[in-house]
Amino acid sequence: MKRISFNWDKGILVFLVLTTIVGSFITPYFANASNFSFVIQDIGEFMLMAIPMTFLIISGEIDLSIGSSLCLSSAALGYSFRHGIPFWLCIIIALLVGIACGLINGILVTKFGLQSLAVTIGTLALYRGLCFVLLGNQPVNQMPLSYTNLGSNSIPHTFLPYVTILIVIFGAIGWTTLHYTRLGRWTFAVGINVEAAKFSGIPVARLKLALFAMTGLMAGVAGIVYTFRFASASPDGATGYELSVIASVLFGGVSIAGGVGTMWGVLAAVLELGVIRSVLQLTNVSANTLLVVSGGLLLLSVAIPRAIELSRNRRKLVSLDSKS
Amino acid sequence: MNRFLTRLVSVREIPVLLALFIVLVVTGIANPQFVSASGAQDIFLGVAVIATLSVGMTFVITMRHIDLSVGSTAGFTAYMIGKMSAHHHGLVTSLLVALGIGLIVGAANGFLVAYLRLPSLVVTLASLWIVRGVFDQIAGGDTVTDNQVPVALGYLGRHSFANIPYIFIIAFVLILVASFFMRSVRPARDLYAMGSNPPASELAGIPVARRTFFAFLASGAVSGLGGAILLARFHSADSNSGLGLELNVIAACVVGGVAIAGGVGTPYGALIGALLLQSITQALGALGVSQFWQLAVNGTLLISAISLDRYLTLRVKPTRILRVKS
Repeated sequence: MKRISFNWDKGILVFLVLTTIVGSFITPYFANASNFSFVIQDIGEFMLMAIPMTFLIISGEIDLSIGSSLCLSSAALGYSFRHGIPFWLCIIIALLVGIACGLINGILVTKFGLQSLAVTIGTLALYRGLCFVLLGNQPVNQMPLSYTNLGSNSIPHTFLPYVTILIVIFGAIGWTTLHYTRLGRWTFAVGINVEAAKFSGIPVARLKLALFAMTGLMAGVAGIVYTFRFASASPDGATGYELSVIASVLFGGVSIAGGVGTMWGVLAAVLELGVIRSVLQLTNVSANTLLVVSGGLLLLSVAIPRAIELSRNRRKLVSLDSKS
Repeated sequence: MNRFLTRLVSVREIPVLLALFIVLVVTGIANPQFVSASGAQDIFLGVAVIATLSVGMTFVITMRHIDLSVGSTAGFTAYMIGKMSAHHHGLVTSLLVALGIGLIVGAANGFLVAYLRLPSLVVTLASLWIVRGVFDQIAGGDTVTDNQVPVALGYLGRHSFANIPYIFIIAFVLILVASFFMRSVRPARDLYAMGSNPPASELAGIPVARRTFFAFLASGAVSGLGGAILLARFHSADSNSGLGLELNVIAACVVGGVAIAGGVGTPYGALIGALLLQSITQALGALGVSQFWQLAVNGTLLISAISLDRYLTLRVKPTRILRVKS
């Protein structure tokens, strides 16, 4: 199993290189600095949210409320700004709201012993509802330009948008934590066999709580990026992001059953999806094709490893619990 | 007496029914207009689509799987029925095409989940997008307008029998039939065994793959025909029809006692769950609560429902062997 997922991660990387090369050949607008900058900006929030989601799915849990958490922290930012709170404080409030969203999910899952899939469908509605409660129907605009410029401008003397800094920092933290620290090993252990992890002394509940809080925090960070990028906070922002984030994590070779995956596979997958979207847009292929392509890729990402497994291993498969 | 109470509470639908009753009574006292023929009609109308789709979803969730593609499928077939009727095809032909689309989606999901053993969450998430993409491509910015809706469907969506809208009656009959099947017919009954212990059900000789395939096929067929209810209910359809509906359907099932961990739940429970969610939405309006609170209240309700369910499982039935998540 380990070997197969390894192959899939590698496949993503090959695929990424191929798409980039093909893209540069079929459209002259693809391979240049401004388009690259556009791609990075386009996938910024997804990158940031895919990092903690990778941990969460590897540990065997899931967070469907991440899009709503993003929107709620964005809404909290807008709400406090509307009520005259200094902008730097609004940002801190937004981050705290993000952590709170994650903690609520985590407490419901670890302390109450509920299924994360069901819980986060509930909080998906709850957090989205709170966005409407906070903002009503009115989006908050006219935020200070000195901040929102960070969302639209590039780092001086480069073509890279500011969100690149966040992606690099959090990507590096996520990567080292997942693959080179005890926390990361624990995450895999819990995902492979939660009972065995418990008996070997891993504080499973505390670990999961921390992972949910981390997911909330990163949703908060993504919420701030999102608010800056659009220079507004609206109650219906980022609808449906949760499924995109989960899909790119799975596309990156993380098993929905838990215990399998790599950080670089996921990061490459998010980038790959951004590149495909860019190539399709530049060649005037409709957005609908993109939906079909994303769905098809998602299917391939689970079907190909399974096909390899089946052909290698003729023994009767007993993988019965395939849902969660 | 105590044993009677214990047994009563262990029927998973009772607490939900009780909550529904309380909501109706409290709102009725606060705003007598709420408990009226038209108030009931609104609730039944609002619940018809979700109740219909929850039938297929109950099959799927009971065997510890999930089907996220129902919203896309129902929206797609709603649009197709309208468009075919606009091009002067008969209602029966349109319904057959809708059923066909549903069966294709269901068969694809079922094949990938049952025979290739891929995780249903991933498979149906992919088919959600693929169906939506094909639907968008065909529909574009086009809208099925009221006068393009087949006359019969338009009639069913607008009229009632004894103050109960026809489309709710259709959904209700479907639920009754499905409940009977899950209670008394062996292949449907097997879904409970498959959901509560997959390896054991395989060892017990249940053809797990075939049952799984047919449950997804049923869910696809129900969503395909659910498009007709969707069209009858809203008298229009465009490329946004049915967007996000899948989560509402899952929420109705979960509130109604169909546990996401599989093995328990009934179609009529899902109906009660859908009725509860809808009456609360309506009650908030009747009580003068801002509409902005509706979504937040529904979310809270869903979380309370699964917490309560968990509590009852732990406290009232301590002998029950707790399932360790594998």
